[in-house]
Amino acid sequence: MNQTADTQVTMMPLRNVLSSPLNRSFMTVIGSTLVLLVICAIFAPSSISLGALSGSLPFAAIIAIVGLGQLLVVQQGGFDLSLPGAVSLAVVQATHYPQQDNALLLPAILIGLSFAIAAGLLNGILVSLFRLNAIIATIGVNALLYGGVFAVSGGTPSITTELLADIANGEILGIPNSVYFALVALLVASLVLKKTAIGRRFEAIGANPLAARAVGLPVKLHQLMAYVYAQLLYCMAGILIAGITREPTAFQGDSLLLPSVAVVVLGGTSLLGGRGFPISTVLAAFFLNQLSQFALAVGVPYSAQTIIQALALGFGIGVYSVRWTFNQKKPTQ
Amino acid sequence: MKFKSFKQKLALAAATTVLALGSASVAQADVPSWCGPKKATLALLDGYGGNSWRQVTTASGKQTVSLCPSITSYEYADGQGDTQKAISDIKGIAAKGVDALVVFGDAGPAVLPAITSVFKAGKVIVPYRVNVGGKEGENYTKFIGSSFENDGANWGKWIKGVLPKGGNVLFLSGPAGNSQGLDELKGLKSVLGAEYKFINPEPFDVTNWDPALTQKVLTAEIAKNDKIDVIVSDFGPSLVGALPLFNKSNRSIPALATSDGNSLGCFWTDSQGAANPDFKLMTVATGNDNVRLAVQWAVAKATGGKDPEENIFKAPVFEDSVSGTPSKVQCRKDLPGAIYLSSELPADDQAKAVGK
Repeated sequence: MNQTADTQVTMMPLRNVLSSPLNRSFMTVIGSTLVLLVICAIFAPSSISLGALSGSLPFAAIIAIVGLGQLLVVQQGGFDLSLPGAVSLAVVQATHYPQQDNALLLPAILIGLSFAIAAGLLNGILVSLFRLNAIIATIGVNALLYGGVFAVSGGTPSITTELLADIANGEILGIPNSVYFALVALLVASLVLKKTAIGRRFEAIGANPLAARAVGLPVKLHQLMAYVYAQLLYCMAGILIAGITREPTAFQGDSLLLPSVAVVVLGGTSLLGGRGFPISTVLAAFFLNQLSQFALAVGVPYSAQTIIQALALGFGIGVYSVRWTFNQKKPTQ
Repeated sequence: MKFKSFKQKLALAAATTVLALGSASVAQADVPSWCGPKKATLALLDGYGGNSWRQVTTASGKQTVSLCPSITSYEYADGQGDTQKAISDIKGIAAKGVDALVVFGDAGPAVLPAITSVFKAGKVIVPYRVNVGGKEGENYTKFIGSSFENDGANWGKWIKGVLPKGGNVLFLSGPAGNSQGLDELKGLKSVLGAEYKFINPEPFDVTNWDPALTQKVLTAEIAKNDKIDVIVSDFGPSLVGALPLFNKSNRSIPALATSDGNSLGCFWTDSQGAANPDFKLMTVATGNDNVRLAVQWAVAKATGGKDPEENIFKAPVFEDSVSGTPSKVQCRKDLPGAIYLSSELPADDQAKAVGK
């Protein structure tokens, strides 16, 4: 074994770590989050106090859940702009149907889920079967969903049921319940995507639909189902928001579209489709939410909040556009 | 027999005449002075009608119109938050021949050109609550504002009563720079001296009146400030989801000066106990009845009635948990949370208006 071979052997793990997209996105998000936490500790320690985390983590969980939904669609090379309407419809379904009657909560959730499946199928059929541009199709479905919001609620907010408020605002072992919902969503998405044949096919189709079609994979079905899975996650987020805010507005999904895309990008998923990184996406949701809480704690004007989210999106695109080629060249020198 | 029949008929006719005259005089007495004899049509135009506050307000406007028999037709249009639609609604309704328009100009000065063109076309047009700029007699018939400074002063007086030695005040309002919040702050500062410290960024914490953002903002403020003695907010019901954050941080909910809402009243009632000894509540009426004064002016001008005495709507103090006057904190659990017990419109009618 010569000197070059020795070097190659010792550099292999490092090369693997830096060249693997998952590890690269994971390390980037973890690194950014740690830097942010240090900055918070120095300039706004109150923003990382237990009380502040307890109050803000539910919103991080919501962003994580909608981010996971958006991730699945982005993996198929699409964008889901029907997210605001989907979340808002789930919110009004979960509040207006039961009218504070706990006994009607479960039927309300089931109705909400059936609407979500219908909306997901509509999105999926328009994009995968009729080959409409995803942005155009989902904008149209978003308008349709907002029609549903008005039909259900008349645009009027309604108070949530006590049971839902207790579930969404409750804590187990000091951690808000909404965080557990996000973790379950993460676990299911990660296991299915990374450990099952369906998940691997799903990723392969997203990476290269033409090649996937050539080898006989059901491309259209997987593309269609991405929108259905996404809608189910938006529905889950909407139901949680209804519980967390107790008297939500009928337009609660509006403020979640930009963060959902930002966390997908920050999580290292290519907007052109392909491999997705659920863990990095969820961490990015925590990062983005913490960034927002930090801005509030140091008194940054509200007008700057959207700019901060947009900058985070730009930061993500910038970071992942850099090719880390020097790491790959080193061992061969 | 015939004669008897004639007498009966005569008696019946006399009785009918007396009854008719009597009821006519009663009806005459019921007609308010702002309702004149000239027949006219009226429309109420919202810039954004999509919340319970607006639905109750719309129902209140309709009820006020119904008091004047000279108004032969009443229409309503909702701009749905779209400035272009709001402008189109104003022009379209005027083009249809409606005589009087009452306009909630949510888009502010953006709707002034449409309002001015309607006014120049000889219609009665009364914008209310949101300042659209322009001048009375040049751009519109009359502007019926709401005295938000008055609300701020009322909150300030109450705060001085419950915290005579001063304290830390947290002030939350809606979108950044909204004139309502700025006027309320003027009112607050006209009463509160330097011993009352505003701990929020100037001029107020921005919440967009959105419960989710309110919760995020309050989370940051609770973490940042160990001592919050009183919260002032111009939309009380949006705080209901956020206030339990104090208890999560093992703190008592502080005193609250705000506007009323059934959900808030019920939340206060449910939160009384050892965990919240400091949770005192005072509300001003949330102001649905602002529309009544605007409608009265529009009807008076269109029908030749007497102008109302008031030029500006002043929301009265509604609830005070400390003094119990003018009323104790109210809660109607049998009715939706999204109604406003301060409104002149009966609570059950409001429940119908918001679709329950």
